[in-house]
Amino acid sequence: MQTSLIHRVRQGLAAGLAMLAISQNALAETRTIETLYGDVIVEGQPERVVTLYEGALDSAIAVGVQPVGAIITRGGQHVAGYIREAAGDIAIVGAPGETNLEAVLALQPDLILATRQTSRDQYELLSQMAPTIVLDVPMFRQDTWKQELAGFARALGREGQANDVIARVGQRAKEVRKKVTGSIPEQQRDTALVRWMPQGPLVMSENLFSATVLASAGFEVEDGDIVKEGRPHSQPLSQENLSLMDQEWIFLATINDDGREALDAARQSPAFKRLKAHSDDRVVPVDGHLWTSASGPLAALAILDDIENALSQQP
Amino acid sequence: MSELLIQHRNIAANLVLAATLSLAMAMALALGTVSVPLDGLWDALLGQGNAMHRFVVQELRLPRVLAGALTGAAFALAGCLMQTVARNRLATPGIIGIDNAATAFAVASVVGTGISLAPSAMALGGAATATALAFGLAGANGTRGYRFIIAGLGIGAIAGATTQVMLSRVAIDAANAAFPWTVGSLNARSATAVSVLAVGLVTGWIAALLLGPSLNTLQFSDPVAINLGTQLKRVRTLSLACAVLLTGLAVAVAGPVGMIALLAPELARALSRPGRVPLTASALAGAGFMVTADLAGRLLLAPLELPVGLITAIVGAPYLIWILVKPSSRSLT
Amino acid sequence: MTDYACQRTPESRALVPPLPVAVFFALAAAMASLLWGAGPVGPLEAWQVLTGSGGDEARFVVMELRLPRMATAMATGLALAVAGALLQALTRNPLAEPGLLGVSGGSAFAVTLAILLGASSATMTTLVAQAGALAGCSLVMLATRSRGLAADPVRLVLAGATVTGLLLSLTSVMMLADQRAADEIRFWITGSIAGTSLADLVAVLPSMALAGVLVVIVASPLAALSLGERAAMGLGHRPGRIRALVVVSVALLVGGATALAGPLVFAGLVVPFIARALAGPDIRKTLRLCLPIGPGMILVADTLARVIGAPAELPLGVITAMLGAPVLLIIVRSGRIPTL
Repeated sequence: MQTSLIHRVRQGLAAGLAMLAISQNALAETRTIETLYGDVIVEGQPERVVTLYEGALDSAIAVGVQPVGAIITRGGQHVAGYIREAAGDIAIVGAPGETNLEAVLALQPDLILATRQTSRDQYELLSQMAPTIVLDVPMFRQDTWKQELAGFARALGREGQANDVIARVGQRAKEVRKKVTGSIPEQQRDTALVRWMPQGPLVMSENLFSATVLASAGFEVEDGDIVKEGRPHSQPLSQENLSLMDQEWIFLATINDDGREALDAARQSPAFKRLKAHSDDRVVPVDGHLWTSASGPLAALAILDDIENALSQQP
Repeated sequence: MSELLIQHRNIAANLVLAATLSLAMAMALALGTVSVPLDGLWDALLGQGNAMHRFVVQELRLPRVLAGALTGAAFALAGCLMQTVARNRLATPGIIGIDNAATAFAVASVVGTGISLAPSAMALGGAATATALAFGLAGANGTRGYRFIIAGLGIGAIAGATTQVMLSRVAIDAANAAFPWTVGSLNARSATAVSVLAVGLVTGWIAALLLGPSLNTLQFSDPVAINLGTQLKRVRTLSLACAVLLTGLAVAVAGPVGMIALLAPELARALSRPGRVPLTASALAGAGFMVTADLAGRLLLAPLELPVGLITAIVGAPYLIWILVKPSSRSLT
Repeated sequence: MTDYACQRTPESRALVPPLPVAVFFALAAAMASLLWGAGPVGPLEAWQVLTGSGGDEARFVVMELRLPRMATAMATGLALAVAGALLQALTRNPLAEPGLLGVSGGSAFAVTLAILLGASSATMTTLVAQAGALAGCSLVMLATRSRGLAADPVRLVLAGATVTGLLLSLTSVMMLADQRAADEIRFWITGSIAGTSLADLVAVLPSMALAGVLVVIVASPLAALSLGERAAMGLGHRPGRIRALVVVSVALLVGGATALAGPLVFAGLVVPFIARALAGPDIRKTLRLCLPIGPGMILVADTLARVIGAPAELPLGVITAMLGAPVLLIIVRSGRIPTL
């Protein structure tokens, strides 16, 4: 379901691309990108792009560029499942935080898209191989992925496509939102995004990428103010405080292939059984790689698909 | 005549270790995802030939190999000093909490507890803090071995627990970013930290050599050593300070790489002339061990890299168990 | 080597009988662990639940969350305290503690391996943990046979710390190999009894009971052994068999505790230290005092873990480390350990 949708997007893009190709090339001759480490000049149409950040891989593919190298998703053996097919035969050049610079070099990149956490030492080396884009976009904000997409697309010379993709995601969010608001009364749209650990749940921040997508689809994401300011991701919670995450809906991110397994484990717990969402059968197991690690337009589309699926499975 | 032979044995040991180190370094420069042929290697080092080979060798591998050799030598020299002072082959800086504290500080900076100092600077701060605490808590008899060690153990336990709290309470992405700091890795070392280490290692090595004659007498009991004219307290304090400096600087580069401080002096002792503390041999052995381990970490799962600390742990495990269960095991002599 | 415990004649014994005080302490700690927690259910509400009234939420928190947790804490504390006292008597080393000597480390390593290979049942975990503890404990005993180590308490501890550090690195290797399991392990390895169910406890109890029987059998011979190997043989005991039984008991106890709570350092150090200070040199009296003090200490530590970290919780292992490290220093500063 989700891959087919990504496919559709890409096909549409490819068609539009053929028409735009000429004018795009003319426009894309030389561009200056503002980055964390100063202005970077990119010339022409990069053809051998290496992405050292999941959001960059997502953005590049979304604007119709096929990167030649990427890092594995954290906790995985390859790029995240949702983008595996679209990424095609991509070379792996390391893990998050542990890039194999020689593998990057061996791919002879002409553009490198890196994570904001790239250190200056690493940047210096990477930028000797190819122009390296480390965007200075604040993380964990509502529009982080849009800004990143815009920045990366500009470096790739595909700003036009970026706007199309953003519009497409907006359109899709609107569709799903319509279904959500159509089938769920307003007071029942409160949602928590959690991972269930035996010791208690990990509550994800309402500023997490997937949480913002949930919000765009009409859900009210609540982290019960558990996740403190400046701690952008998640926070573990004592089982005694489950009332703080006792929302109408729970999206349960898992790191196993089969989300059901994690759900079953959670259901063993007496504390979990007391949750509203559990008794109303509104606990939705979702892929942790996609929901807690990925970001970007394709991830947004895949998450929206998950939401739509969850709705259709409701009685 | 036999004195001369023994003298030669020491020189021979150092030569063998230096040759092994050079071989390991040459291999580490030549092998990798991009393979550089041996004749190309020389050109690349001299700044000639294939541009890609030049970049790989000069910019990517050489700094890493040098960092590996320097950290390995520093860990091993520190281990040798501490083992000699404590008269115990298991007394390494890692055991007495210096590594743990350095890691805790570095992780604190990586996982973003609002501390803005670079992880490597934090690591050095952690090492210094742990040592100061261990000295302080061990009381007046601080340098007399066992109290210092046990105090260090306690501090190490607290630092280790703190690291675990930080890792379990932050997002898994941040925990991931901090992971190399918990096992030891040469992947993303800071160039500044490496150059500071280089200066520190030279200083520490010279200091160790100056202390050498006194350290040799520590292999006898205290009264004998005193009779031989050794100022015990001064030698112990200086040696420990030296070991701490070396460990702190090395952890700042590579994180807490385990087992080198234990294994390298062991190897050096086996090769060298008995009765003398094999300081230089330990440093050479440690450098060779570290460079080889890092090379293995780069090659084994390519294109993914294994942190060097994991390799040293895997290699060290069987050896450590053997030391422990060997019935004839002698304590450090 | 002199018997470290012989030198201490507890004066407090004359003033207050230690056993009733210790039992009172344990009961008070148990009550506190029911009354205080990380959540909004405060002591007053919890008290109402215990006296038969109180709201549904409070009833759930007290009866379903805090009560099983109290039971788990007691079992863990008991096991670690007794194991620590046994190991210390056996090695004649006041620093011999399951966490420091690598027994817990071996157990945790085995469990990590099992989690990685996909084991999830509580019984399985217990068996694996005990097997790991047995391996760790045997390694320690083998190590004490080598000359340098047996004579010197600090050397033994150093050996244990080295093994523990190594096992931790190897655990990291495994976590790297499978980061999905890593996530589970990451939480378990810090030591925590949050979220343990009564089923976990039930899975551990049979082996703990077995260990209890063994301890009862071995206590008197062990006391004799502390007088020296010859004396013990003269009294008709076989030192080799006593040692083997003690090692098996320690492995069962530490493995059980680790299966429940993850590797906890220093619990087995602090409690026997206090018990010995109160009860004097006889291992049987020390063991008897460990029975209430061990659970009491873990209960206090676990309650602290809940209250300090609210609304989340601190790992229990962190609290025991923070409580234990100072005791370690006190033991060292008391100066009854030979110099290196």
